[in-house]
Amino acid sequence: MEDLRHLILLMIGILVAFTVVMTLVAYTVLAERRVLGFIQGRLGPNRVGPGGALQPLADLLKFIFKEDIVPDKSTRFVYFLAPMIATTAALMTIVVYPFGPDIHLPFTLPFANTNTIPMVIAKFDVALLYVLGVTSVGVYGIALAGWSSNNKYSLMGGLRSAAQMISYELALGLGLIGVILQSGTLNLQGIVEQQSGHLGITGWNMFWVQPLGFFVYLTAAIAETNRVPFDLPEAETELVAGFHTEYSAMKFALFFLAEYVNMFTVSMLATTLFLGGWNGPFVHQLPWLGPFYFLGKVVMFLFFYIWLRGTLPRFRFDQLMTFGWQFLVPLAIINIVVTATIQWSGLFDYVAKFLKTGIGWGG
Amino acid sequence: MLGLLFILFAGMAVGCAISMVAQRNPLYSAISLIGVFISLACLYVTLAAPFIAAVQVIVYAGAIMVLVVFVIMLLNVEEEERGPMRLRSLVPIAVGLATVLFAETVFIIRFVATSPATPVANISDIGQTASIGAGLFTTYLLPFEVTSILLLMAVVGAITLARRGGLIAAKVAVVPGHASYARETLNPAAYPDLTEVNADNSREAAALLGVADGTPPRDHE
Repeated sequence: MEDLRHLILLMIGILVAFTVVMTLVAYTVLAERRVLGFIQGRLGPNRVGPGGALQPLADLLKFIFKEDIVPDKSTRFVYFLAPMIATTAALMTIVVYPFGPDIHLPFTLPFANTNTIPMVIAKFDVALLYVLGVTSVGVYGIALAGWSSNNKYSLMGGLRSAAQMISYELALGLGLIGVILQSGTLNLQGIVEQQSGHLGITGWNMFWVQPLGFFVYLTAAIAETNRVPFDLPEAETELVAGFHTEYSAMKFALFFLAEYVNMFTVSMLATTLFLGGWNGPFVHQLPWLGPFYFLGKVVMFLFFYIWLRGTLPRFRFDQLMTFGWQFLVPLAIINIVVTATIQWSGLFDYVAKFLKTGIGWGG
Repeated sequence: MLGLLFILFAGMAVGCAISMVAQRNPLYSAISLIGVFISLACLYVTLAAPFIAAVQVIVYAGAIMVLVVFVIMLLNVEEEERGPMRLRSLVPIAVGLATVLFAETVFIIRFVATSPATPVANISDIGQTASIGAGLFTTYLLPFEVTSILLLMAVVGAITLARRGGLIAAKVAVVPGHASYARETLNPAAYPDLTEVNADNSREAAALLGVADGTPPRDHE
């Protein structure tokens, strides 16, 4: 009975998180088109609903009713498997992110046996490693899609994507080690709690201790999600549409979804590790503010992504590799050495005493 | 609940392993192997070893197998033909080894089932990230460092091998007259007086013979 109750609560939690993330993802697509329109001096979609607000729904309907074309000489099984892997791997990481601090709701007492609702679905001790592992499996979706389509543009897109993701995964992981060294835990909720400072702002990892790690992570993460300026796998001027050239209807929609969910989860990880997660002014007095701060920061990141897309040109492939291996990886290693040295010398504790714990400035 | 999960993931692991051996298409074999790794990681989680599970997925499923799939895609390996069986003489040995393995398994299962359960000290620490890290950097520091040197040697060796003659496929450079060319680029019938030297590339061959280099200089050498 207790097991069943636990399972049902877990399902409700997953459903809520899934709905929130999917809605925001759908509106990210719309926001991208509107913001790009603004950057390029045009309007963007504004006809369906007030200000284009129903455009995501219309797009979804269109994807459902499109003809589903399967290339004749494709490798059937893998061709169907690839979009599933991409979407599943993208969605699986949502469960470990802390959306906010524990919230007290009196009316849940009869059902849940408690009035404390945790704002994280799975409390996982190695949450950070789990995120890295699931993300690294996501590359199969793209690589296999490129291979199974039996199309040279698709294959080139898949190969580029595999090479790019292997290269930048290294920089991504090394960029995060600084945060792990400095916080001493892999638990995301623990890392967030360590970043509360004055008004929930001064303790952010991004400012005081890991600016370099933040830069390395952000750059590598953009490359991992195949976004501009690292969108070589789907460079439309060279590869038609890259790995998803042969995909149509809902199978294409799944890849589209996976890309935007990946953007979202990458932003959530950056917020959690570097921007203080749900920390913000007065969040300890009013825990309800936590999720809003968290999602607000994530939305800021998404805006940054779109801004980049409207601003930067694409890398050439050799530039991409040189940048990843000869600039980002050494930078990440320097960051690790510096962080470890500071940590070992105790200098960080001295700084933290003033900036992070609230002792010092009369806090 | 845990028993159900064990049956699910163990079944997946065994099924994927059989499929990996049985498949004729190398890519299907690779996908099956990824399935084995992921099911094993799930089993580790149910055994309260989340760190090992995460590392299993990151290293094996996420890095090594991506490279394998990458190579299969790049070479576009064809489906393996079912030809006449080679090495037929090894079949009796294989049967014997399989019997030994099976006997071993039966013995271990019997032994585990009949032995009394002995509780391990501080069981809650085992498998946690902190205890693994502390172990690696204190008790097992020497094996850990030796392993890292071994991996470094492998990397250096791979790069050395890849650089040798990697520019043009010329293990042997051929020098007709006063310039050196890769053998593949010349028609041997047109040059009866070919001099062959052992060199990694045509520039090296030219240096050995003291003649001019026929190939245009490459800036990415």
